[in-house]
Amino acid sequence: MTVGLVVVPKAVQALQVLTIVLGAPLVSGVIAHAEARLQGRRGPRIFQPYYDIVKLFGKETLVTDQSSWVFLAAPVVAFGCYLIVPLLIPVLTTYGLPLGYMGDILGGGFVLALAGFCVALAAAESGAPYAQLGSSRAMTFGALVEPTILFVVFAVGLITSTDLPYALAATVRSSSEILRPGHVLAAVAFFLVVLVDTGRIPVETHTGTLELGMIDEARTLEHSGPALALLKWGSAMKQLILYTILINVFVAPFGLSSNGAPLSVVGAIAALCGKAMLLGLVFAVIDNLFSKLRLFKITEFLAAAFGIAVLAVVVFYVGPT
Amino acid sequence: MTGHVPSATAGTEDVVAVVVLLTEFAMLRAPLLRSQVRLYAFQSLAVSVLAVVVAATRHEADVYALAGLSFALKVVIVPSVMTRLLRDVEVDLAGSAKLGVASSTLVALGVSVFGFFAIGSLHVHSALLPETTLAVASAVVLVAFVLVVLRSDVVSQAMGFFSLENGVSIASLVVAAGLPLVVETTFLFDLLVAVVAFGIIMRVHHGRSKTLSTDELDRLRG
Repeated sequence: MTVGLVVVPKAVQALQVLTIVLGAPLVSGVIAHAEARLQGRRGPRIFQPYYDIVKLFGKETLVTDQSSWVFLAAPVVAFGCYLIVPLLIPVLTTYGLPLGYMGDILGGGFVLALAGFCVALAAAESGAPYAQLGSSRAMTFGALVEPTILFVVFAVGLITSTDLPYALAATVRSSSEILRPGHVLAAVAFFLVVLVDTGRIPVETHTGTLELGMIDEARTLEHSGPALALLKWGSAMKQLILYTILINVFVAPFGLSSNGAPLSVVGAIAALCGKAMLLGLVFAVIDNLFSKLRLFKITEFLAAAFGIAVLAVVVFYVGPT
Repeated sequence: MTGHVPSATAGTEDVVAVVVLLTEFAMLRAPLLRSQVRLYAFQSLAVSVLAVVVAATRHEADVYALAGLSFALKVVIVPSVMTRLLRDVEVDLAGSAKLGVASSTLVALGVSVFGFFAIGSLHVHSALLPETTLAVASAVVLVAFVLVVLRSDVVSQAMGFFSLENGVSIASLVVAAGLPLVVETTFLFDLLVAVVAFGIIMRVHHGRSKTLSTDELDRLRG
């Protein structure tokens, strides 16, 4: 086998992070555009999120006199967390990268949770009622989502006997494991988790302006300028990270680079963006088909996701093998 | 746990069967009668797709005809008849179930786990018998039972009964795809009879008591 030019693993690793950082606003923009088209509006340009971020970086930051350094540090810490997670998950390659074994999929989950915690902390720090309401809600529902994520990881761990994202993806890719009932159930449960964590219908109207219905959106109400830009950028990155996990670990880990050849790496970047946009279209369609659940019905939705995840695990133990 | 890896076709059958099972769960929590009928139509669509998959992979030309028939009957005719009946009775919400949504979902989870366990403990290993799909089908049947038992209105019970038939169809499709077409279509006509019967029950019951709830029926009349 002749291997020509190969991108060194560390460069690929940097590219994984760059893909998430630079691709996330684009994916958000495409989803927003598609959503608008589905509603018969012309919609914003697909590059609008980039313009928004650039604009916000040029503005001044206003801070209430009651808040401390936490309020300003939190967006930066959260953004840092979102930079770490792409190191742990298979964004572009099928083979493990040097830092890819720093943490397993639960470790990645913890880093994501830390980011969410920082944002919620800053919101609580601001002293503004709506931001505090958002942060307390986000923490409440976050606690209810957590068990589902654990069970999804257990379910997939049972098939592959590991919880390293790279190994999970490799098993899914190498066989038709993805078509087993347990895996399908786990993937459906994770899909519902992504729906909750990215703040989409039926849990939250992410384009709404009504504060009383907000969960994630309300947390950033008090931030402005560069801090707000980081938070917006961060939430776009979180969305793309979750999409990447759903696509590259659970459902369709195809089109990834297997040898690090420059062309295949470029192909993998394009494949990831394409797949994420397709998935985003599904979410946009769901957005238009369903209405928002009442706040107290969200627990029911989360319970359903949890039930499916539990069923996925149980099926492995008691079902036919 | 890894042991047996399903082939791509068996895997596809599994996926469709799981979709049917999830639809069954959705029916269990659907509060609107209309949405229940819609979910049933979607579930039947999945079953028809499964029939096409089975026909294609096992080269059974008869099953294509069966897929077409079941599509026409279960996706088009039955849902439209039910929708029409619902329009006449002007009742939107299903009567309250005997258990809350959360508890009935838990019960359904329990019985579907039992379904998986039951088929799994049979230990039948044969190339011709896709155990996993059979297990999902049995789970569908059991959850449909839960729907029929826990809901106390005529429409939900009818929908539960029809979707039970969907579960049985899956089982018969994957276990006995080679059955003569006549036998398979008999099942479908069975369903047609059930639709007519349930339609009459719905109308008569609604005409007498102005409600679709079956709670009224356990009272003695003098």
